[in-house]
Amino acid sequence: MIGPLATGLIVLALLIAVVSLLTTALNKAMGNVLLIALGVLEIGLLVQAGFLIAALVRGEGPAETATLIGYTAGTVVIPPIAAFWGVGERSRWGPAVIAVAGFAIPGMVGRMLQLWQGLG
Amino acid sequence: MNEQGGRVEGHAEGRVDERGSSAEAAPSVGAGPGRVLVAVYGVFALAAGARAAVQIARQFDEAPLAYSLSAFAAVVYLLLAVAMARGNRTVALAACGIELAGVLVVGTFSLLDPEAFPKATVWSGFGSGYVFIPLVLPLLGLFWLSRRRAG
Repeated sequence: MIGPLATGLIVLALLIAVVSLLTTALNKAMGNVLLIALGVLEIGLLVQAGFLIAALVRGEGPAETATLIGYTAGTVVIPPIAAFWGVGERSRWGPAVIAVAGFAIPGMVGRMLQLWQGLG
Repeated sequence: MNEQGGRVEGHAEGRVDERGSSAEAAPSVGAGPGRVLVAVYGVFALAAGARAAVQIARQFDEAPLAYSLSAFAAVVYLLLAVAMARGNRTVALAACGIELAGVLVVGTFSLLDPEAFPKATVWSGFGSGYVFIPLVLPLLGLFWLSRRRAG
């Protein structure tokens, strides 16, 4: 795993979560900024998944390969579903859905880092 | 119950349901804050389910009871997410009840008899391995479902 990329993804996801919560607090629906940020996050997660799969194919992965693949799949799937589900709700609760995803991603990427370093 | 015959009582929503289903005319439990709950339940179904699947596939013998309970919890979370998203109040209520009972019973049991739960599940220690979210989630769900009926 690439440390800086993972760190960047965690920071971006937390940023998205905070902005989403602010948007909910201000009683606004989803804006384009949040959608674009989610798109960037998804691209980053896909890149990370690509590197991970490449590393696993080369046999560089940790012992917990199956769990790592599960987390990788989860991180890639969550942002699009959150975007779909959040855009469909035209109220303050749309961005709140994005906030859930924004908090879930850092947790999952953090676990992936732990597994990668053999601490999990 | 009151889902029959296309009863329309949703003027306040001011929006037409595109699916055109009469059962959806009333404000759904899956709208508004309900969507956030659906999202959280979905994440937990995914997290607990994937973890349990790996554990059962690779090391089921280590803690059969704990891993089975994890898998069961994940299935109920999934059921809960789908039921709430589709506005099925009865199923959502039942699933919330199962989650609450599960976290209370298994939480207590895991503290009294740690030997029976050598490996953490979503429910052991009242969900302490997941920041107690498994304990809070069913309560939030029940609160939301009861508010939706009153409102």
